[in-house]
Amino acid sequence: MQEDYINIILADDDEDDRMFFTDAFEDLKMTTKVQTFNDGVYLMDYLNSTEATLPNVLFLDLNMPRKSGLECLQEIKQDPKFKDIAIAIYSTSASEEDIENTFVQGANIYIKKPSSFKKLKKVLSEVVTINWQYHTNNMNKDNFLLRL
Amino acid sequence: MIKTLSNNISFLRAMLYISALVILVVGALTYRSVTEVTKSSEMITHTYKVNVELEQILSYLKDAETGQRGYIITNDSVFLEPYLSARNRINNSFAELKVLTKNTPQLKSKLIDVNTLINKRLIAFKTSYRSLPKKDIEDPNFKSNFRNGKTLMDSIRDQIKGVIKLQNNLLNKRSDEYRSDLMATPLLLFSLLLCSLILIYLAYNSIYKNIKRLKIANEELEIFKESTNQSEIVSKHGSWTWDQNNDVFTFSDNLYRLLGEQPQSFEPTIQNFMQYVHPEDVEQLSQQVENMKKNVELPYIYYRVVHKNGNIKHLKAYGKSIINDEEETVLLGTTADITDEIISFRALEERNLELERNNQELSSFNYVASHDLQEPLRKIQTFLSRLEDEEAEKLSDRGTRYIDRIQNAATRMRLLIDDLLQFSRSNKADKVFEESNINLLLEAAKQDLAEVISAEDAVITSDAFPSMTVIPFQIQQLFVNLLGNAIKYKSEKRSPVINITHQVIEADNDPQITKPTKPFYHKITFTDNGIGFDNEYADQIFVLFSRLHNKDEYSGTGIGLSICKKIIENHKGHIIAKGKPSIGATFIIYLPID
Amino acid sequence: MTLFFKFDFNAICQTVLEQVLNNNNIKYKNVGFGEIEVLEKITPEKQQDLQNELDTFNIEIVENQKSILVQKIKDTITDMVFNEDTVVNVKSSVYLSEALGHSYGYLSNLFSEVTYTSIENFIIIQKIEYAKQLVIKQDLSLTEIAFKLNYSSVAHLSTQFKNTTGITPTAFQRIIAKRRDLNQQNN
Repeated sequence: MQEDYINIILADDDEDDRMFFTDAFEDLKMTTKVQTFNDGVYLMDYLNSTEATLPNVLFLDLNMPRKSGLECLQEIKQDPKFKDIAIAIYSTSASEEDIENTFVQGANIYIKKPSSFKKLKKVLSEVVTINWQYHTNNMNKDNFLLRL
Repeated sequence: MIKTLSNNISFLRAMLYISALVILVVGALTYRSVTEVTKSSEMITHTYKVNVELEQILSYLKDAETGQRGYIITNDSVFLEPYLSARNRINNSFAELKVLTKNTPQLKSKLIDVNTLINKRLIAFKTSYRSLPKKDIEDPNFKSNFRNGKTLMDSIRDQIKGVIKLQNNLLNKRSDEYRSDLMATPLLLFSLLLCSLILIYLAYNSIYKNIKRLKIANEELEIFKESTNQSEIVSKHGSWTWDQNNDVFTFSDNLYRLLGEQPQSFEPTIQNFMQYVHPEDVEQLSQQVENMKKNVELPYIYYRVVHKNGNIKHLKAYGKSIINDEEETVLLGTTADITDEIISFRALEERNLELERNNQELSSFNYVASHDLQEPLRKIQTFLSRLEDEEAEKLSDRGTRYIDRIQNAATRMRLLIDDLLQFSRSNKADKVFEESNINLLLEAAKQDLAEVISAEDAVITSDAFPSMTVIPFQIQQLFVNLLGNAIKYKSEKRSPVINITHQVIEADNDPQITKPTKPFYHKITFTDNGIGFDNEYADQIFVLFSRLHNKDEYSGTGIGLSICKKIIENHKGHIIAKGKPSIGATFIIYLPID
Repeated sequence: MTLFFKFDFNAICQTVLEQVLNNNNIKYKNVGFGEIEVLEKITPEKQQDLQNELDTFNIEIVENQKSILVQKIKDTITDMVFNEDTVVNVKSSVYLSEALGHSYGYLSNLFSEVTYTSIENFIIIQKIEYAKQLVIKQDLSLTEIAFKLNYSSVAHLSTQFKNTTGITPTAFQRIIAKRRDLNQQNN
């Protein structure tokens, strides 16, 4: 299953954030393919379509119109065909309880959107790397929890 | 009291029986004595009658003798008249005597002797006056006859005297017998009467005492009744009883007042009462009244009544069945007017609701404001960082400086927003208390601060904590804030040393615990060796946005300790601060133990 | 009902591999650590068939010598961390270079080049991975886990755990427990 690139999807309603995200991956020069969606409905429509390429890591903003990140998370967790996707919550801020709750709901990664571009790049590279470790070393994905 | 009374009653009954018995005995004895006395007086009368008759017979004989002598002297037949009638009279007297003496044979035979002698005397008269026609008193025949007559007369007299004597002897003998009998009776009567008097006195005494006691009890009861009446008025409640066997109710005066009526102004029946009950509550109350018949103890019953003037009052009733001495079930009940309570409760509820709404609005405003402020700020910072990284060489020195300043301002704004957000989170209502390992929470707090702890070479020592029921996130936050504070306000001269101790204390023994909610508290003390503060600011430092230092010296927002206070308030505990300038600060936390 | 499993990936892979090789009538000798000595000549077509069959199990025939060595490093580390029988008294760098017959510097450079991560980092990741398994099993206290994984103290383990995952061991334990409760409710 060696692939040429790592598939990454971001669902975020904020244009600036989507830009930071794609720019960061461009700068990282990793063999990644990044797709973005403007909200949860667009995202789920894509994921459920037949031509969809399922991502290795899916980044979800929590506050989105129409369908929130948490709703997407719950839908994805209920469908076995998505079981291999690592899910990263990508949010402005949340309380400790909210963070724990998203983990309990099945998220693997929780990222608090950093306030510097450098930090953002660092964080995203870390996510991809660790996910790759889990992926390539047959580690138990159930135990994959990461907070950045 | 009741027991002593009933004992007394059986005592009194015994007294009564004994007294009655004594009186009966006395009566019987008296009756016997009186009968005896009557008998003896009858006997005396009888004896005298016999004596009188005998005397009379003697007197008749004497009259006859005198008449005969007169005739002999005068020879006038007029003098013979007493003699002629004597025969009849004596016979009459004898007939009388015969009746009187029919029960005494001894006397009877004596009387027969007397009668024989009298007959002889009368014959002697005849012969003496028959031999007289010659008128010769000196005639020896006559003389001997006359003397013979005298002798006869003497023996009659003796004979009668003998009879009278016999009679008197008999009388005396009988009298003696009765007298000895009668002499004993008064003594017995007297002692019996005395006995009876004593018993009556004892009975009286006992009755007197009981009456006195009853009187006192009665007075107390009156006072109690009156005070119950008054307390019913003051506390707005009334009482009632329901004799279920006979379906009879009694209502206290104030129960009528609770219905807006004059005391005892209508007959206390369930039907009359129901007329006052609010139409919406009638069905429910009737159902509950039915239940009263079945159950011994009842739950509180709530219903409304409508006064004639239209006022609606809320009543609360409670009843309990008791079984009285006559094996009848009686329900004792109390009904209270709780209208005021309900009104103030509703007002309080409304105010609480309003307060809660206000609080919620405030906290959601806080949350939304600080949360939504973060997003644009973060973008400003990110764009700034990109400007710095990607466009630095295109900027003039001044431009770079400005960017630097903007960065600083943005950083400070981030700090403020983060702290505000945390403060509003510590305000949120959905807090879950969990049995938590405090040692792990402290460890987690230290991990959160790992960077500054190692950067400042801070040393943190702590006691082992028992597990506590807390909101774990908040306690961790509390530790982070207190430890962070201690490190931030460290002394220039030394590395921070923070010592954390734990004790369980009794609330009463610590004056710092005002209005304790639990008897025991955890006391956790944070002591540091930092710059400290003047004790006069000890309360002020917990106030939101209050700072003791210029923001250029220390980067605080004045929110951290307010969060600590909020967290401790959420746990119904207390937090106090003590300080000594340039020596250090101490923060003491009290958490109630469930 | 939910069943929990603990499994040995190496053993499973070994078994699968043996089955596939047997099915293809290939004579082999098991060397261990994912290495198999094929005792006959294999044509490129036959190797392609074998690879296609192994694809179903996500098993890949590693051709590149560097990749083979990296895989060996990984296997050695995993064995060192997970297998209690492998008592490591020497430093892991020394142990690795002795076990694989290369200098540590060479191994380290090679590893970073191929895996985007350092050997040290990989060891930490594996240790924390093992710690996670032990934390979830709840048989051992944190102190015992720290001792078992050769940490000097609970604090050290907790710090490394937190640095690696961003979460404290207790929070991790709590999250996994709640997740299981949630799954059980949903099923």
